[in-house]
Parts: sequence; structure tokens; C-alpha cells
Amino acid sequence: MLRPTPEKTKSTKVPFKYRLVKAVDVAGLNFLTPVVRLCFGEEPRKQLKDIGLYIVIPIVAMLFGVLAWFAVSEMVVTKSGKLPNPTETLSAAGSIWDFHFRENDKLSAFEMTGAQRDARLASVESRLAELVPLEEKINQEVAAEGKLAQERATQRVAALQKKYDKLKTKLDSESKEREQVLKAKSESVAQDDMAAKKAYIADVRAHRKSLEVAKDELRDLKSKIKTLSDLKDDQLAAAVRKQTQIAEERQYLGKMKDQLTKANRDLKVTGALEKLDLDMASFFDAEPSKMYAAASKVVKAESRIAKLKLSEYAKPSTLPFQIKRSVLCVFVGFFIGTVIAIPLGVMCGLSKTFMAAMTPIVALFKPVSPIVWLPVCLIISSAMIPDPDKHFLTQWMWSLPILGKYQINPAFLASACTVALCSLWATMTNTALGVASVDEDHLNVARVLRLGFWDRLFKIVLPSALPLVFAGLRISLGVGWMVLIAAELLSSSEGIGKYVWDQFNNGGSRSFANMVVVVFVVGIIGLILDRMMVVFQRLVSFDDSPTAV
Amino acid sequence: MAFIEFNDVSFGFGPVSNRYEVFENASLSVEENEFVAIIGFSGSGKSTLISLLAGLQKPDFGVVMMDGDIVQEPGPDKGIMFQNYSLLPWLSVVGNIDLAVKQVFTEMKVDERRDYVQHYVDIVSLTGSEYKKPHELSGGMRQRLSLARTLAMKPEVLLLDEPLSALDALTRAVLQDEIIRIWEEDRRTVVMITNDVDEAVLMADRIVPLTPGPSAGFGKSFPVTLERPRNRATLNFNPEFKKLRNEVTRYMLQINADAKALAPVEELALPNLEPRMPGKLPVQSPV
Repeated sequence: MLRPTPEKTKSTKVPFKYRLVKAVDVAGLNFLTPVVRLCFGEEPRKQLKDIGLYIVIPIVAMLFGVLAWFAVSEMVVTKSGKLPNPTETLSAAGSIWDFHFRENDKLSAFEMTGAQRDARLASVESRLAELVPLEEKINQEVAAEGKLAQERATQRVAALQKKYDKLKTKLDSESKEREQVLKAKSESVAQDDMAAKKAYIADVRAHRKSLEVAKDELRDLKSKIKTLSDLKDDQLAAAVRKQTQIAEERQYLGKMKDQLTKANRDLKVTGALEKLDLDMASFFDAEPSKMYAAASKVVKAESRIAKLKLSEYAKPSTLPFQIKRSVLCVFVGFFIGTVIAIPLGVMCGLSKTFMAAMTPIVALFKPVSPIVWLPVCLIISSAMIPDPDKHFLTQWMWSLPILGKYQINPAFLASACTVALCSLWATMTNTALGVASVDEDHLNVARVLRLGFWDRLFKIVLPSALPLVFAGLRISLGVGWMVLIAAELLSSSEGIGKYVWDQFNNGGSRSFANMVVVVFVVGIIGLILDRMMVVFQRLVSFDDSPTAV
Repeated sequence: MAFIEFNDVSFGFGPVSNRYEVFENASLSVEENEFVAIIGFSGSGKSTLISLLAGLQKPDFGVVMMDGDIVQEPGPDKGIMFQNYSLLPWLSVVGNIDLAVKQVFTEMKVDERRDYVQHYVDIVSLTGSEYKKPHELSGGMRQRLSLARTLAMKPEVLLLDEPLSALDALTRAVLQDEIIRIWEEDRRTVVMITNDVDEAVLMADRIVPLTPGPSAGFGKSFPVTLERPRNRATLNFNPEFKKLRNEVTRYMLQINADAKALAPVEELALPNLEPRMPGKLPVQSPV
């Protein structure tokens, strides 16, 4: 009798190469597959071709994009300056980063105590001392460069200036001459000779005309000279940049020194304690008539110390903090949306009646713009939490260990709810579709096994719908991220959107470049969120069907 | 009274105005522990028959009885093996069997259940592939898994809906032997649908042809008296086997021809046209 030999398991012996390829695929980094294969020496020609197609060409395209950016940035001139080019954007990103670290330093300096503080103070002071000659030098350099630049500018325009001067004197003398001639001529014109008078007026007109022509000519020359002399002087700009850098560092170190000395929390507390001791002493010595005043002085000093101990460094929000808060906000909104969307989607998929009831609601609210939801959400959330400093919910959230520092307030909740309201539709419709299109055969299996409602739901329907549910979640998260930036911008909820808005409003020399930096930050984070969802989607999809990338 | 009774069953699809009768007054009875092969042309309602027997669908008229009770709803006692496997793609081999076992034997303890599931994995020779997902299995392995899942429910009757039709000839032979081997261990009642006469003769105790639809019924049954175990290698030279196979085949062809004769097709007269070359245009080659 024929009998099949049992298939040998190979799962434990899958070569490392294939496991790596699979991992790369699940992670959604398919463009790396040819690299992995090439490393294992598999069909080098084909892999090189693939690398060319999936890695080299995208990189080349990006380089072209950067070049185009350089070109375009020269052309787009606005009131806030030229469109920042890639190098300026990069340096703006660097200074955003520096600002973040310096603020962190100030925070830690504020909290430092004892020997640590002394050490830090010493290093700050020594660096400050180092900076003094440097600053002097750079100031001189800038001044010298300024003079040189002035000279260079004069040199550049020298020829033109000469030409201008010459022309001016020439035109001036010519016009004076003509004037003289005309004045002289006036005496020869007879009192009642109409024709001669008319001719005279024509002469004066011609004189004025040539005067204007001369003026125009001079103006043209003058503007040419101005553009030439105003040309940006690269050497001077470099010197000024260096100067700014040093000035910024000095300012930072000065602030650091403050935080380590007179603004330092520990020092302030110690000072206050000393004062308290004095107050105490004077209280003990006080005559009965002055006892009350002395005692209340002591009590006041005590409460001041208590407040000082709890005081915090008022750190301005830096971009990394705002990014973290935005990501937190998008996930809170996404979570709220998911919690609403999945059960509703499941019910829609299970019951045609429920689906019929929901369809008009979904159709009506799906196209509503986040800009409309936001004010509604803001009003509701601030009505529920009128005073965040006293409301139990915000107080509780601020006291949480990790969430606490993100200061969840009504604006944050309104942004999160807007995200939820805009993003839940994709998950809902996809879940409904997934649940409604469960394979009839799988449902027959459930019938044969006589599975109850919950078993059928959790063992057959939901697992079968999961890939579609995750496809919906992926769309939702993408929509949520886009919505969030706009919501934060409008609600002034601390986050990336608010950062952009602040930059737009403050109009500093760097704010345009900072905004361009944010464009990339938002894009990169959106990309990471999407990749993350792709990985989840691949992990739950049970057949080999490739997920759309 | 026979174990399975299929009494005067009528069943159809669609509204009254455009109704397609699959069965009309069809009757069949299957004895306990009998292996019956139902053989029929495609479209003669074979899968509907299995659905009716399993209780997945209810007859419009007549009753389906099993072991003296009217079949009301599907259940694990009527072990159905679907034509397209119906495996749950997100569960492994063990998971698929375990889902059924857990549902049917609620009393079973965890250890016991693990051994029980493993036993059925071994029976269908899937040892070593316990934790593979269905999409990682070949067609034959999937079919064996489906068989194991059905058997693990310990059904009183096995309903096999063209279990081997999706397989290649070699795998098919292997699985035929497999099913027979497993069946011979405890000889349960089996109703198997097939479209292969050889397969029916090789496996069954009795062959029942389905007359072609619409309004199908059962034709005359052919008892297979060949000794078991039947050896496929020598069977081809067995005169009884050859005779039976020829008889069944002839009968099937006959009822098919009758059905065609009975269902007159309105012939549409085609106009007598001759293709003409258009002027000087070159003849276009078909793309």
C-alpha cells in the first residue's frame, strides 16, 4: 500500500539568508533585499541590477531634487528673505538641536547642587574666560572685514562711480550753459512778437526735457552702483556668522552661570534658610509687643522656602519636546478613534440592519474637515475642563510619571479628539468590509462546530478580518498625523503645529529655515509611523499576499 | 430503518418565477458503516447533496433523517470535509485541529487534548508540519489536514465532498489509500461525492449515480462486491472490477444522453453568410 512519507520539518533549519530576507520583507524594507542577496553571492548581476533600480535611482533622484531646490531657492525671494536652500536648512536644523541641548543644560544647571555645581560653574567660567579673547578677536575681525568689504565694494564700483561723476559734472555744466543761453535769449524777444514767444517756450520745454533725460541716465547709473556695492560679501558674512555663533555661546554660558549661581534653586533655598534662621533668632529675642510681627515673618519665610523647593526652571518648549508631544497626541487620538471605530465596524459587518442605520451617519460625517471639528472639540473640552490647574482630570494626568511632563490640557484633548473624529472612518469602513466578507466556508466551519456567537466572532470572524482592519488602521494613522499638525496650529496645543505657527509669527532671521526643517521632520515621522503600521499589517496577514507598500 | 434516510427530498434555488430545482423527490438510504460513493456529472447537485446531509441547508420538501432523527442543523456528529479544504489560514496545522477538538470535547484536559491532536496529525502523516500555516502546505497536505480535522471530531458519519478532485493523479492515489486505511480502522458511515468512476469502484461498498440536473434524483445503485483490501495494482486486471467500471460508465453516459434528449435545446438557425473580402484592403490577420 502506498503511504506518504511524513514531510520533514525544515522550519528549524531555514538558512540564515532566507530568514534575513524574510525579516527585511516583514519590516517593509524590500529595497534592501538585493543587498542582502548580494552579500550571500546570489546571482550578482541580477542583484546589482536591482540595487541600481531600487537604491541608486532613488538616490540620484533625491540628488536631483536637492539641486532643483538650490536653484529654486535662489529664485523665490520673499519679505522674510530667500527660500532657504539645503545648506541653510541643515544649519537651521543644527541650531534647533543646539538650542535643545543648551536648554537641557540650563535645566540641569538649575537643579545642580554642591560639588557638582561648583565643578560645572568652574568649567563654565573657564570657557567664558576662553571666549573673551576669542570674541574680541572676532569682533576685530568683523570690523576689519567690514572695512575690507567696504573697500572691495568701493573698488567694485570705482569705474562706474567715476563714470557717474564725470557724467554728472558734464550734464550739470551743460544744463547751466543752456540756462544761461535761454536767459540771455529772453532779452532779445520782442514784447509783442507771439511767434518768437512761442519759439521761446519750445526752447524752454526742450531744455527741461533734456534735463529729465539726464536725470534718468544718472538714476540708472546710481542704481547699478548700488546693486554692485550691495552685493553680499561672502567673507564678511562668514565672519559675521562666526561672530553670531560665539555671541550665542557667550549668552548661553552667561545664562548657565546665572543658573549655577544666583538663579540656582539650591542656592536660593540655602539663602532663604539662612534668612529664616535670622528671623527665628529675632523672633526669640522679640518683646511681646513685636512678637506677632516677628512670628508672621518666620511663617512667611517658611512658606517661601517650601515654594522655592518646588520651583522649576521655566524651560521653553524645544522642537524635540514638541515632536514627542505631537506623537503622543496623535496616538491618543488614534487610540480614541480605534476604540470607537472597531466595535462599530464589527457591528456594521455583522448586521445589515446596523450597517443600513450607520451608512447615512458615516456618509455625512466622513467628509467633514478637521478645521470644522477642532473649534467644536475645543469648546467642548474647555467646557468640561474650565480650569486645568484645578480640574481633577488634568491634575491626575500631570501627576503621572511619564505623561505628566507633556502637560495634557484641553487644547491637547481637543486636538486628539479632532484626530480621532477625522481618522476613525477608514478603520470603521475597512473593519465592516473585513467582517462582512468573511469566507462563507469559514462560517460553515463555525456552523459545523456549533461555535457560539462570541467564539465565532473571536475565533473566525475577527482573525479573518484582521488584515483589512490593519489596512484601515494604517490609513487612519496617516490621516491622523496630517490632521494633527493643522489642529495643533489652530488650537495652540504645544506641538509641531504650534512650533510652525510660532515661527511664522515671530519672523526672525532663521524662522523661514526652521519651517522648512519642520517640513522634513513631519515627513520623516509620518514615514516612520506608516512603516510601523506596515510591519503590523504584515504580521497579521496570514497568507503570502503582499501588502501594498 | 437505514442509518441515513433521504426521503423524497426537493430542493431548489431562486424565486418562484425563475426557479432552479436541484433535487426533485430524490430518495436515498445509507446503512450504518456503509461506504457509499455518489457519482455524478458536474452541475448535478453533488455539493448541494452534501450540504443537505450535513444540515447546512434545509430541503424544501421531504426530510433528511440520520440515526432516526431529523437533521435540523449542522454539527460535529456530521463530519463534513469541504471540497476546498476550508482551513482557517491564520491557524497552524495543530491550531486548526485543536479548534475543532476543543469545541467538541469540552471535558478534555490540556495534556490529553495535545496528545489527541498529535494522534490525528500522525494519522494523516503530517508529523513534522505541526506548526505550519495552511498556505505553507501543499494541496495534498491541506486535504489531509482537512481530513484530520474532520476525523478528530469523531463524527458518526463522514461526508466527503469531492475530497480529492483538486489533487493531481499521484497525490490522489496516495490519499485514496489513506482514507481507506483510516476508514477501515473503525468503519464509520461514509458518503463520498466523486466524479471519478475508478475512485468510486476502488473505495466504496456501493455506488449511487446522480441523474443530471435540473431536478436530479438518484439512479440505480451498483453494489461493489470486491474483496477488501483492494489492491490498485492488481485491480486493473480483475474482471469484476473491469465489468463494474464499464457498467457504471455506460450507465452514466446513458443517463446523460437521456437527459440531453429530454431537455430539447431550441436550435437557432444561423444565417448562411459567406465572408467577403473588402475591396483592396489587405486581409487582416487575427491578433
